[in-house]
Amino acid sequence: MKLPVMSVRGVSKEFGPGVRVLDHVDFEVVKGETLVLIGESGSGKTTLLRMFNGLTHPSSGDVRIHDKPVRIQDPINLRRRVGYVQQDAGLLPHWTVEENVGLVPLLLGWESEQRTSRVHALLNLVHLDPQQFRARYPIELSGGQRQRVAFARALAADPGIVLLDEPFGALDAITRHELQRQFLSLKQRLNKTMVMVTHDVDEALQLGDRIAVLKEGRLLQIGTPVDLLNAPVHDYVVQLLRHRSHGVFS
Amino acid sequence: MTKSLHSVYLRTLMILMLLLPLPAFSQEDRIVVGSKNFMENKLLAEIFAQLIEARTNLSVERRLGLAGTQVCFEALRTGAIDLYPEYTGTGLVSILKQPPTGDPRTALNVVRAEFLQRWDLWWLNPLGFENAYALAVPRSRTAGIPLRTISDLVKIAPSLTGGFGYEFINRPDGLPGLEIRYGLAFQRVQAMQQSLKYQAAAAGEIDVLDVYTTDGRLAVYDFVVLEDDLHFFPPYEASGLIRGSTLAEHPELGAVLGLLTHAFDDKTMRHLNYRLQEGGEPPDVVARDALSALHLFTSDAAGTRPVSHQEGLFAYMWSKRTDLGGRIIEHLTLAGLALGLGILLAVPLGLLLERQQAIAEPVIRGIGLTQTIPSIALLAFMIPVFGIGMLPAVIALWMYSLFPIVRNTYSGLRDAAPQAVEAARALGMTEWQILHWVRLPLAAPVIMAGIRTAGVITVGTTTLAAFIGAGGLGVPIVAGLQMANTTVILSGALPAAALALVIDGVLGQVETWLRPRGV
Ligand SMILES: Nc1ncnc2c1ncn2[C@@H]1O[C@H](COP(=O)(O)OP(=O)(O)OP(=O)(O)O)[C@@H](O)[C@H]1O
Ligand SMILES: [Mg+2]
Repeated sequence: MKLPVMSVRGVSKEFGPGVRVLDHVDFEVVKGETLVLIGESGSGKTTLLRMFNGLTHPSSGDVRIHDKPVRIQDPINLRRRVGYVQQDAGLLPHWTVEENVGLVPLLLGWESEQRTSRVHALLNLVHLDPQQFRARYPIELSGGQRQRVAFARALAADPGIVLLDEPFGALDAITRHELQRQFLSLKQRLNKTMVMVTHDVDEALQLGDRIAVLKEGRLLQIGTPVDLLNAPVHDYVVQLLRHRSHGVFS
Repeated sequence: MTKSLHSVYLRTLMILMLLLPLPAFSQEDRIVVGSKNFMENKLLAEIFAQLIEARTNLSVERRLGLAGTQVCFEALRTGAIDLYPEYTGTGLVSILKQPPTGDPRTALNVVRAEFLQRWDLWWLNPLGFENAYALAVPRSRTAGIPLRTISDLVKIAPSLTGGFGYEFINRPDGLPGLEIRYGLAFQRVQAMQQSLKYQAAAAGEIDVLDVYTTDGRLAVYDFVVLEDDLHFFPPYEASGLIRGSTLAEHPELGAVLGLLTHAFDDKTMRHLNYRLQEGGEPPDVVARDALSALHLFTSDAAGTRPVSHQEGLFAYMWSKRTDLGGRIIEHLTLAGLALGLGILLAVPLGLLLERQQAIAEPVIRGIGLTQTIPSIALLAFMIPVFGIGMLPAVIALWMYSLFPIVRNTYSGLRDAAPQAVEAARALGMTEWQILHWVRLPLAAPVIMAGIRTAGVITVGTTTLAAFIGAGGLGVPIVAGLQMANTTVILSGALPAAALALVIDGVLGQVETWLRPRGV
């Protein structure tokens, strides 16, 4: 069995007394897989995701990356090695597309030409024409374009791990499908270890190698889409899967 | 080794010697004459100043129009000024806080002895007139009633409205004492600005007013000045009040100023005041004439043109353009220094507070308290510590400028695009990089808006600097208020308002420039 790239061991999180957001969560993410965290709003998905780059720490239990607790790693170094796509893209409004995408390379001290060529390659990767888009500001982009830029930014320094918080969240169905399709083809090419948050069961079934179902801070089930469809262990999982619009294998 | 050390030492010493004696030398042959912010006092100060200039080798620096007794006295006591005209009654009651006495000789002897002993301040010989309080009633209001003394007034007072100056209402030797001594009670008492009382009385809005016995307007307005038959009002003999150390250094001052002993009686003074108040003549011209009339020096008969009330505002401002230009420069220097220093402290402080959220609110609220201190009071607080002139004015204005800048810097940084800050942190920016690349650029317009607010406040408040002798556009405003001359007031107020607009516009432009693209 492969060594886990990330592991979550007995993680609980409380924001103040009695406000338990995560409750004894355990799972692992292995190299090259895409794990999807699914759950309804407020179930603790973002909180859990932010533990992988040290933006939040567990109240108890520990989160490890390459078997080293996140808590004892230098957060700045860690974050530069872990790609992150925020729930709302989180682009710097006063920086151009080129500057936004080149952010982590800049922090890592890359030369200017090296940065530029990397930015151009990434914009092409996410299907944005560099000539047309590199000098634009986020406000001059559509929602879908912003998400692509955020995705390109997360990949800029070629991190082994990418964290995505509802990357296709606030988009119309068509754009969403288009981006999901592109993501799928990229995923195969890039061979990254990814954790993606969503509350959309179709997206989870389509993009996840494995799916972890969260409800009120507890991990109900984790497994491949086939596992979940064939052997749901919880009523909530059954209910959740009933909401899908079409079967993955249909 | 020893030699080089020696030369460094020597050089330092030489630089120090060059720097240190400068203030000492410049002060040595210079007498600073101060005055309060009303016409007669300014005139007397001007008379002192011109006489010293004419009869000694000393040069004179004028700090005229300081805000009231407390400011003048503090300035004298602390050595910020050497000499100013004072009244024995004021010395006795306002400064010594002693009960008023009816006898002029006793009053003079008491203040002389006390001031010498406590502060080594010398009362020179009286100038010969008294500027005492009196009550007056427009003659039209006395029809049919025999009204000659304050005792006569007591009987009809319950049906009358009194209009009195703020100081008169509050001083123990003013209205409160008067009410007790005479059993006087008005139907209504209205607090009024000095210069408005006369018009209000003539218009019938008030029936009784407090006047000064040497007020020039008593010659024009038909008022009955009531006799103080119970001798309540203390004597207010005018005299020079001078520092003992100044007299010791320049003994000739005593002799020269002694030339003015009993030189002016009430009538002469009223006439001189009339020229200032109603004729709008500047104190230096009237002072020159007064001294010429005494044959204390020969007049050049140059004379500045008096300001008539009818003269066009812009013609007047044009005729005063050199003076006003200088005032504008003074004004901008004061406001600019204060604002510059304000930015230097407040922006870094705002940055610091953003990193120390726990103490931020209390600190900002504390600084906010400065805004609640009335500006004139803040200026007055400065005097015992920093004397008068530019330094205390800049410090006071600087304190006013802090709050809007600190508040905006702090809240601008704290609230700057939280999603962008979160992303920057998540991608591995250090806190300093976040501050430098994200928070500061995004907060810049908010910070600049704070600076802009502070700039406008500062330019406006700088008009008050005139009260502590710091110059600026407040000088014509204050002078105009005393002369009740709108033209003179506007000659200061208009440029001040224009400056505030210009500063607002310029800083607004800077704000636009600083707004990052994409926001
Ligand atoms: N800093 C915080 N302080 C207090 N409560 C918090 C904090 N952050 C999150 N929470 C709470 O924790 C719970 C889980 O939040 P989280 O953002 O992880 O939910 P989520 O599953 O990502 O929801 P969504 O799908 O709406 O993004 C919510 O009830 C939220 O209010
Ligand atoms: Mg979330």
